[in-house]
Amino acid sequence: MLLNCLAKQIRALPSTFAAACRMSSVATENAEFTEVEEPPMVYGGYTNLRQAWVSNLDTVKENPSTIIDLHPQVFGSRPRIDIIHENIVWQRKYRYVSYANTKVTAEVNMSSKKPWPQKGQGRARHGTRRSPLFKGGSVIHGPRSHTTHFYMLPFYKRVYGLTSTLSVKLIQDDLHIVKNLDLPSDDPSYINDLVDSRLWGPSVLFIDDTDTMPRNISLALNQIKHMNLMPVYGLNVYSMLKYETLVLTVAAVKKIQERLLYQLHRPDVHQATKKFMLNMQN
Amino acid sequence: MTSFTNKNVLNLLRNLPRLSISNLRNNDGAVKKNKRGRAQHGGDKHGHGNKGSKARQNFMRPGYETGNTPFYMKFPREQYYRDHHVKRQYPPLSLATLQQMIDMNRIDITKPIDLSVLCNTGLYNIKPEDKHFGVNLIDEVSFFLLSFNNIVMGADNFKAKINIEVQWTSESTIAAIERNGGVITTSFFDVNSLFILINPKKFFQRGEAIPRRMIPPEDAILYYSSAANRGYLADPEKISWERFVLAQKYGYKLPKIEDDPDYDMLVSRKDQRQIFYGLEPGWVVNLKDKVILKPTDPQLKEFYRS
Repeated sequence: MLLNCLAKQIRALPSTFAAACRMSSVATENAEFTEVEEPPMVYGGYTNLRQAWVSNLDTVKENPSTIIDLHPQVFGSRPRIDIIHENIVWQRKYRYVSYANTKVTAEVNMSSKKPWPQKGQGRARHGTRRSPLFKGGSVIHGPRSHTTHFYMLPFYKRVYGLTSTLSVKLIQDDLHIVKNLDLPSDDPSYINDLVDSRLWGPSVLFIDDTDTMPRNISLALNQIKHMNLMPVYGLNVYSMLKYETLVLTVAAVKKIQERLLYQLHRPDVHQATKKFMLNMQN
Repeated sequence: MTSFTNKNVLNLLRNLPRLSISNLRNNDGAVKKNKRGRAQHGGDKHGHGNKGSKARQNFMRPGYETGNTPFYMKFPREQYYRDHHVKRQYPPLSLATLQQMIDMNRIDITKPIDLSVLCNTGLYNIKPEDKHFGVNLIDEVSFFLLSFNNIVMGADNFKAKINIEVQWTSESTIAAIERNGGVITTSFFDVNSLFILINPKKFFQRGEAIPRRMIPPEDAILYYSSAANRGYLADPEKISWERFVLAQKYGYKLPKIEDDPDYDMLVSRKDQRQIFYGLEPGWVVNLKDKVILKPTDPQLKEFYRS
């Protein structure tokens, strides 16, 4: 019965964990394999609960201690690639301002004199050399600066963007969960070795629930340009895809789950999905 | 969307290359391009031929029959919809929906229910600007529940004991509520009071004094002063008689409100001039400092007294 349960869990885990020999050695080695008593997770029941190992950062060798249950609506949702794409396009565009500019006829710096008399020359009639018909003249329908490309993606596209990306990251074995971000040293080579030996990255995004990060990891990652730290409130689709591996702390997982489940099931949906106004107050 | 994830969809991704910014794309046909071509690519007439009414979008007005007497003018009118734009509307709410809101903890039945509570559930809303004058509590299944594929008759399945204030209702609805030991009142709110009632927070943020509720217009006085309709202007003695009459008619035993443990809740009613339970006209609710300011000037007091 117990074996059966374990086998079920193994099947639910990402593929690298499925190496059965490794599983058995981990299970026997870890004397401090503690089950954390928590209320059962409420979810649809039509999908399997997602699970992942809770790993550590204090040794280079991976030493997973417990298994964490992940809500299937957050970490096992339908991977909507189109919604992820729309999120990426939105994140690129909403901060983009185009400064491309062309001059209209009045702005062209040229003589305003009539180039030649109206009649008698056998040439076409013209009143100004600034017109778009002339070389060096104005441009019709050209770009005018500063053109903002800001728009707001619909609220639930933003929410589903996050759940889709988290689910894709988990199933592709690019999402790892650690107890905390405490490192034994602030030496960048330590975290480099750790990432190399675990076949993470090379680019890694570490996410914690607070924005005051531990000292060692802050100093170490300061030296490494392709790894970064981020609080939960900064979690976004673009960064999750920009970095190859996503490392969440247990606290971050709890907070992300709580926030996203609230947004997926909030009673005042009409408040959240209101038309976006620049001067709106939440 | 998220509850019913096909496992195969996720397992497919497990064996595919890593999803990254560079290998994303949108669904085919998700972004529509403007079909109006420019220059040599269909820029001449844009598919609208040469001259004439079709090129100029010169569409005939609806009903026009190019010189014939139009059909709509051939026969004498029967004005079924005369004055429809000024008639009062009462968007319906089913007893079954109300029961579901109560079961889902969207409504607290230990307190009196009014339009404010119903609108705060987020499941029911009215638009006073569209001549909606409040809720019409009906005993049938409303559209809201049909969408859940859960067809139950409202009146038969209503089990809650509530004190509810509605703007319009029917005899069978009254019977369904009173059979369970509840109390129902029909009461009128003018447009200004309705705007305040459906979104109290917005009104309190304005920092204005709560106004007096206006009395019903001439054509509504009769409805709201009728004991059979449980009108708020009706004589309480007559209402208790009508409660008894209705119980006889529908054949149920009227529960005694006097012996009920929730007696205070069940008998609480708004004043004729009152908009909110517990708040009188003339008071100012200060949300920032969380205090209620009451008028002290005798002239003001006299004005706000009903």
